[in-house]
Amino acid sequence: MTDTPFHLFGIRHHGPGCARSLIQALEHLQPDCLLIEGPLEGEAVLPLMADADLEPPVALLVYNPDDSRQAAFYPFAVFSPEWNALHYGLAHGIPTRFIDLPMAHQFALAPSEPEVIAADEIKADDNSAGAVNQAETGVEPSETPETDPRLDPLDWLGRAAGYGDGESWWNHLVEERGDSLELFAAIREAMTTVRAETPGPERSAAAQQREALREAHMRKSLRQAQKDGFTRIAVVCGAWHVPSLAEMPSAKADNDLLKGLPRAKVAATWAPWSYRNLSSASGYGAGVTSPGWYEHLWKAQPAQRAVGWLSRAARLFREEGLDCSSAHIIEAVRLAETLAALRERPQAGLDELNEALQTVVCLGDAALMRLIERALIVGDRLGRIPASAPVVPLQHDLTQQQKRWRLKVEAVDRTLDLDLREANDLARSHLLHRLNLLDIRWGRPQQTGRSAKGSFHELWTLQWQPELAMAVIEASRWGNTVADAATAKAVDQARTLTALPPLAALVNQVLLADLQTAIGPVTQALEDLAAIASDLVQVLGAIPPLVNVARYGNVRQTDVGMVEQVLKGLIPRAAIGLPGACSALDDDAAQTLRDAIAATHQAVRLLADETLRAAWLQALERVALLPNAHGLVCGLAARLLFDEQAASVEGTALHMSQALSPGHEPALAAAWLEGFLNQSGLVLLHDGQLWALVDGWLTTLTEERFRQILPMLRRAFSGFSAPERRQLGERAARPDNPLVPSGALPDWDNERAERVLPLFRQLLGVG
Amino acid sequence: MSQLLREHAESQFADELAALQKADTRERPTNWALSPWAVVTYLMGGTLDNGFAVSAKYIGNRRLMETAVSTLATDRALLLFGVPGTAKSWVSEHLAAAISGDSTMLIQGTAGTSEEQLRYGWNYAQLLSKGPSKDALVPSPLMRAMEQGKTARVEELTRIPADVQDTLITILSEKSLPIPELGMETQAVRGFNVIATANNRDKGINELSSALKRRFNTVVLPTPATEEEEVAIVTKRVGEMGRALQLPGEPPALKEVRRVVQIFRELRNGQTEDGKTKLKASSGTLSTAEAISVINSGMALAGHFGDGVLRARDIAASLVGAIVKDPVQDAVVWREYQETVMKERGDWKDLYRACREFE
Repeated sequence: MTDTPFHLFGIRHHGPGCARSLIQALEHLQPDCLLIEGPLEGEAVLPLMADADLEPPVALLVYNPDDSRQAAFYPFAVFSPEWNALHYGLAHGIPTRFIDLPMAHQFALAPSEPEVIAADEIKADDNSAGAVNQAETGVEPSETPETDPRLDPLDWLGRAAGYGDGESWWNHLVEERGDSLELFAAIREAMTTVRAETPGPERSAAAQQREALREAHMRKSLRQAQKDGFTRIAVVCGAWHVPSLAEMPSAKADNDLLKGLPRAKVAATWAPWSYRNLSSASGYGAGVTSPGWYEHLWKAQPAQRAVGWLSRAARLFREEGLDCSSAHIIEAVRLAETLAALRERPQAGLDELNEALQTVVCLGDAALMRLIERALIVGDRLGRIPASAPVVPLQHDLTQQQKRWRLKVEAVDRTLDLDLREANDLARSHLLHRLNLLDIRWGRPQQTGRSAKGSFHELWTLQWQPELAMAVIEASRWGNTVADAATAKAVDQARTLTALPPLAALVNQVLLADLQTAIGPVTQALEDLAAIASDLVQVLGAIPPLVNVARYGNVRQTDVGMVEQVLKGLIPRAAIGLPGACSALDDDAAQTLRDAIAATHQAVRLLADETLRAAWLQALERVALLPNAHGLVCGLAARLLFDEQAASVEGTALHMSQALSPGHEPALAAAWLEGFLNQSGLVLLHDGQLWALVDGWLTTLTEERFRQILPMLRRAFSGFSAPERRQLGERAARPDNPLVPSGALPDWDNERAERVLPLFRQLLGVG
Repeated sequence: MSQLLREHAESQFADELAALQKADTRERPTNWALSPWAVVTYLMGGTLDNGFAVSAKYIGNRRLMETAVSTLATDRALLLFGVPGTAKSWVSEHLAAAISGDSTMLIQGTAGTSEEQLRYGWNYAQLLSKGPSKDALVPSPLMRAMEQGKTARVEELTRIPADVQDTLITILSEKSLPIPELGMETQAVRGFNVIATANNRDKGINELSSALKRRFNTVVLPTPATEEEEVAIVTKRVGEMGRALQLPGEPPALKEVRRVVQIFRELRNGQTEDGKTKLKASSGTLSTAEAISVINSGMALAGHFGDGVLRARDIAASLVGAIVKDPVQDAVVWREYQETVMKERGDWKDLYRACREFE
């Protein structure tokens, strides 16, 4: 290596051990030029790194301003080797260059070559935040988003060394070890072997071609640097690329390969990043499983590592109100060290520390470890970018859509009346709903539309405020287009919500925003939550809005099949649980449940599904007969059954007299009557059967009993309006109840009566 | 063939222990019969360098066993926690057999366990004739383990009354047992340690004081991780027990075992095995041991009253009894399961109908 000006440093992206060794090596080498694997276009925004407001984790964002779905993020954390190399270059005033194939070519290549759009690559384009950068920053062969373990060279090596996966093998061998200058030679040797042994056909032709191009460009940049007269050139790149940069083929071959590549327009900026996005759980291919742990490795002295980590865990536990004394930590350190010894490792790693914590502090309980996982191992750090950084792709997409749908960005209040039957207005409505889902509150829907549900109209008030620009940047972490971002956020919300009503509302929102891909996951989440929900009022509360969606959703041309599926599970569950939820209620709870049952009943009727209706009525029947349930609920159930003609007049009469019999607690009896009458004086007035039922019961009362029960009756009837009560009184005063049609029908002339029917049909739009 | 109904682990697997001892060249903690590595190998099974095959005693996560053995090597006491039927006592017996070559230093915890049973008692004839002396002392298994540097076992720790449990605190932290009557004490020899088991379903009985809890490292033994693992355990144990109890009828069809295991797992985990549907979880433990007994009683039913072949009807009877432990809550869970899961599975119609008949 002495005769070449190039010094190759193969690293793992986001590896603190690599970063530490790299800094040492750079100090040792004192290079006069730094070449770093990164997109050429990124150099433009490198000066912003000097800004103190740029706080990692941040991502270098390169995107196509014409098509913001084409974008790649290059995330950096404080412990990323590239980040440190860049800072080294900045601090020492050394020329720093990015050497990867310009994104201009990569973007232009992707759509123009049909075979690149193989099944796996389409995913890469749709989901560029996760996938294109996956192609960029992995310890490579991660051109394809699939997570086939055979494709990760670390996994090959890790398995060969007897570890479960490449991650822990690399952690133990590189990241958690002391610094050593020989590290890079070792990595190079390992990668050379792996690349030689790699079975070629496992990777798609397109991916191989891309890699060939990228490496050719890197070599070209290396030669350029040499030509520029630098003598000690440090090259920092993914370990995977080291072997191909070590042996230089002829410059001509590379130049031929790179000749005549198409170009696309490209812009670069910084975007704030989070440790959650950095973790591989977020779908980021080159992600690490434990950013928080790596930060700790980066910051803590090796000797203090275990103790420091466990103390942080202890502090976290205490903040959450869990017992964790210093003695616990002492024992945990001892156990972790013994475990490391048993596994023949020089120092306790993350696995050992986790197991020690779980065993000593958490009493073996894995649930508490999730707290550690979330807050410590992954961490919740969020980066910051200076105000002077250029804008994000989401903003671009939004601007484009605003132009396309002719929605003006104005600071004044403006009312917008959308007719959802028009394709244009429907698209505008979708956009506004999506923005609301993303917390970009540009438009506010007006609840008081022209009419209630089922309307073709939607009223919005639009007002653009400067703070919304920030909201857009914030939302940009969910995706690069409004639709993608809203989908990602809705799916994420569905995963985290734990109460049914907000989840049902989310389903509604997703349908309003027409996020087809989110409908599946969100309704699935709703179904899952409904299955384990034990609070029946919540389950009942979720049913009416969903029924509304299922019934009226078609106005918006949305597919409501999924919602109907959910209802098919939800209503039987509610029916099974209903009788159990009706016992042991106090007055307030009974009132809530009464309202919920009434609303659900309306919803079930609206749905007009015979099997669901039968299941629901069966549940009502059981409630009506429950011996120790609250009267309000039983009365309501009896009444609903009566209205549905699911219970006979005689049965209901018997029921009534039982519920109101002398042995019963007067308050309960009154509640029953209140529930039975269900605040409907008018119905009582006009429904002959119901009238006869109540009237019949009243007249059977003895005078003494009547006096006893009078206060309750007053209370039950006090809910009716004054005119209703007056009419009731008037009707009761008439001895023969003339409102009830008496047996004989009036003398119709059938022929004449039928003549109006065609006109009626036309008016009503039937037939 | 031994006349004993059941042999101790150290005699049943004497040849394996001897082979491991011969092959084991790693460092052993003082008074340990084997190195920690060899103990883990004994529990998890494996093949030694000389080709000797060690059978697996525990089928499950190796890391748990490593944690348990490391705990004992750091001279901290080990508490094995878990729902009934997760092999806690089994693991504790084999750990003691492998580490000390002796699994008999055992104290069974009950509500009636007294301090004498944990510390020492007296031979009253001696005491009356000669007065207090070392000869009159009757040491507990725990005290003997301290003297010999061996592993003592306490079964069902949480059933022991709280004030008696606390006797363990001094033993575990100071590693000594004072005998005030004789003005002396017994100090534990290196190698001494305690393995306790407790059942985390009965937590309420005599919850450990936090002082005592702190002296234990806790390892929770989980229910089997995969369906295959559990089916393997159930089929193996049912086969063994069927022979021992001389059950009539044919060995159970794998299909029925699979179904029972699947029902148990789904109700235990609160979701179907394909992960698509969530379910309410049952309040019962639904351990592997219970699945074994459901199959066993199904076999008895089939053998004595059926045609000798295990069918859905035979299982349904004991299935309901095993699942519905709480008549209100579990009945809802079970009905929801039948209506939303069993009914939908095309080839489960027979079982669905059989279960409905028992309602």
